Amino acid sequence: MGYTLNTAQADQALQSLRRDYRVYGPRRFPKQGRYSDTDIIRYAEIEHFGDIVWEEKSDYPAKEVITPIQQSIFYFTEDEYRASKGPQKPILLLARPCDIHAQHIQAKIYAGNGGYDDFYYMRIREQVTFALMECPGGDDTCFCVSMGTNRTDDYALAMRFRPDGMEVKVADGRFARYFDGMPQQDYTPSFVEENALKVTLPDLSDRDVRLALKKHPMWKEFDARCISCGSCTLACSTCTCFTTRDLIYGDNPEVGERRRVSASCQIEGFDQMAGQRELRSTAGDRMRYKVLHKFHDYKVRFGERHMCVGCGRCTHRCPELISISATIAKVNDAVAEIKAGMATKGA
Amino acid sequence: MNQDINIKKVRLNCFRQSKVPGLFMLQMRVPGGTVDAKYLSYIQHIAKTWGDGNFHFGTRQTFDITGIKYEDIPAVDAYLESYIREVDASLCNVDMDTVAGQPQDWDPVSGYPTIGARNITACIGNYHCICGNCNTFELAQKIEPIIFPSHYHIKINIAGCPNDCNKAHLCDFGIIGVARMVYHPERCIACGACVRACEKGATRVLKLNEDTGKIEKDACCCVGCGECVRACPASAWTRQETKFYRVILGGRTGRQTPRTGKMFLNWATEDVILNVLRNWQKFSAWVMDYKPEYLHGGHLIDRAGYKKFKELMLDGVTLNPECLVAEDIFWQETEYRSNFNVKPLEKHHSAGPQEKAAR
Repeated sequence: MGYTLNTAQADQALQSLRRDYRVYGPRRFPKQGRYSDTDIIRYAEIEHFGDIVWEEKSDYPAKEVITPIQQSIFYFTEDEYRASKGPQKPILLLARPCDIHAQHIQAKIYAGNGGYDDFYYMRIREQVTFALMECPGGDDTCFCVSMGTNRTDDYALAMRFRPDGMEVKVADGRFARYFDGMPQQDYTPSFVEENALKVTLPDLSDRDVRLALKKHPMWKEFDARCISCGSCTLACSTCTCFTTRDLIYGDNPEVGERRRVSASCQIEGFDQMAGQRELRSTAGDRMRYKVLHKFHDYKVRFGERHMCVGCGRCTHRCPELISISATIAKVNDAVAEIKAGMATKGA
Repeated sequence: MNQDINIKKVRLNCFRQSKVPGLFMLQMRVPGGTVDAKYLSYIQHIAKTWGDGNFHFGTRQTFDITGIKYEDIPAVDAYLESYIREVDASLCNVDMDTVAGQPQDWDPVSGYPTIGARNITACIGNYHCICGNCNTFELAQKIEPIIFPSHYHIKINIAGCPNDCNKAHLCDFGIIGVARMVYHPERCIACGACVRACEKGATRVLKLNEDTGKIEKDACCCVGCGECVRACPASAWTRQETKFYRVILGGRTGRQTPRTGKMFLNWATEDVILNVLRNWQKFSAWVMDYKPEYLHGGHLIDRAGYKKFKELMLDGVTLNPECLVAEDIFWQETEYRSNFNVKPLEKHHSAGPQEKAAR
C-alpha cells in the first residue's frame, strides 16, 4: 500500500503515529556544531514533519536512540537496587538503509553474544520498529555499496521525502490505519546502487599477513595525525563499547545510580588494566585496532559481514580530517607490499 | 620640487605625506579586512596608473598605494568613486552625506571625506577559522556606518575569539567574539578532552568530578573561547546561539604611553556593542568641546576619565542581562619616562565643555 502526502497530510499522519509511538529521526540543532555557526544533525524525537532532516546525513548515528551515550541502568541504596524504567511507548525509528544494517550489527553484540541477551538493550530494541528513509544519495564519505548495506527490507514503513511532502509505503499492515483516507499512490523505495566512493576491502585471510600488517609502519602516521578524541567511534553507526560509572548522589556513597556511558577504544586509557598496563599506548596502535576490528575481527567472530556499514560518519566527524576510506586504501597498499615481500622471500 | 600643498587637507582625504615632497600614499578602507577579490584589480589600476606600481598591506588592513603625485590625487579620487560607493555606501550602508552623523554633502569624485575613524580591522573570524566565534567582517560592516565618515578618531579591531590574533588589546575599542557554552551532561562521556583543552589553551576552568562523571566549570573565569566545544567528541559542549562580545578598551601603541587595553564590557550582545558605539561621536564631541582635532581615541578616554567615558558611552543603552561592565579600569602604561603625567598645571589637558574665558 502506497500513499503520496503533502506536508499537511504528512504532518497529520505523523501526529497520529505519535499517539502510539515515540517517533525518532534526524533533527537539526542549529549552531550546536563543533565550529561556530555550524549545526549538528542528531537523532531526537520528531514532533513535526518539518523537523525531519532528510536531505543530508546526520552527524551522529541512529544508535543513540537505542543505546544512548548515557543511560541510568539502576539506582542503589545500600544493598538494595532498582532497575531504571525502560521505554513505556513503542519507538518508530526513521533510518536510512545503512542505519538499519548497523542495528543488525549492534544486535549481534548486544543480543545472544556469548549466549546472553543484554537486558537494557533488549528492552529498548524490542520496542523499535524501523521506518526506512529512502536515501537521496548520501555524500562523498559514503560507501554503503562497497559494504553491502545499501538495500534493506527490514522496515514497516518506507518514506521518500520531498520538500513538499513524502511518498509512503506501508509494508507492515498494522501501520495502514495511520494513513486512512490519504491519497493513495504506489511507491516502492529505491536504493543507492552506486557511491562515488568505492572501497576495496583488504584480504586479511592470511595470519602471517595480518601479523606483518600489525607491525607495518603505516600505523605510525596516525601517531602524529590522530588526537585520540574518539569522535569517530561516537559517530560510528555500529560501535557499541561502553563503560559503567557509578554516580554518587551526595556525601553518602551508599546512595546513587549506575550508568552506562559510551566509551571509545580511541581514547587513551580505554584498555588500561590493573598495574596501569595498556595494550595500545599510541594513537597508531588504537587506530590499527579499530580498523582491523571493523574490517576483520568482527567478521571472524560473528561471521557474515564486516562491522563497518560505510556510512562515512567517522570521516565526516574527524576533526583531524582522517578518512576511513583513505585509511583502508593504505591498508590495501600495505597488504600488497607485505604479500609481495612474502612472495619474494618464498621464492 | 616646489609645491604649496596643504598636507593636513590631503591627509583628511586619506592620502599620506611621503618622504618625497609631492608624493603621497593612498589608504583605501577595507572594513573588516575583507572585500570581494575583484577590487584587487582596482588597486592594480591605481598603482600602475598613478602610483609607483607597488602595493602595501596597510597595518590597519587598508589597501595602500604609494608614490601617487599630488597633481594626480583628483584623478585617483574620481576613480575611487565606485569603490567607495560599493564598499562603504552599499555593502556597509554608510551614509556618505554625513560627517559624525551630521548632514554634510559628499562630492562623489572627491574621495574619502575623513580619515578620523580608522579602518576597522578584523581577523577572518568564523567565516573561515575553526576557532572563531563570530563573523568578524559582518560585524565590521555593521559598525562602519556608525563611526564613518567622522573626523573623530577611533581604532576598532575585531577578533573572532579570545586568542585575539587581531590584537583587540592594542586599540581604542577592541571587540572579541566570545561564546557562552551550554553543557549537555547526557551527552558527556567524561573523557576529559575539554578539561585538557581548557588547561592547555585557555583558563583552566574545567574539571572532571570523578564522583559524578561530569564536568564542573568555574564560569566566572571562563574566557568564552569555545575550545571545550571544539575538543568534545560528543557535542556535550555547544555554543549558545546568541553571539556575545568582549570589549577591550584603551589599548594603544605610541611614543608616549603605550599600553594594553583592559576589559570594559564582557558578554555583551551585538545590539549592545552597536548601541554603545553609537555614543562614540557624542562622547568625542563632548571631550573636545565639539571641535574635532587630530587626537587618538584612547587619549579622549584619558582626558574624560573612564567613569565619564562609561557614563556617556552607556547613555541610553540597555544592556543584555549577561553583560558585565567594568566599574573602573586601571591601565598599566609602559613608562618610557617616569612620572610622565607629573607636569605644570597649565600643561594639563582639559575635557568637556570649556568656559569661554578658559579657552
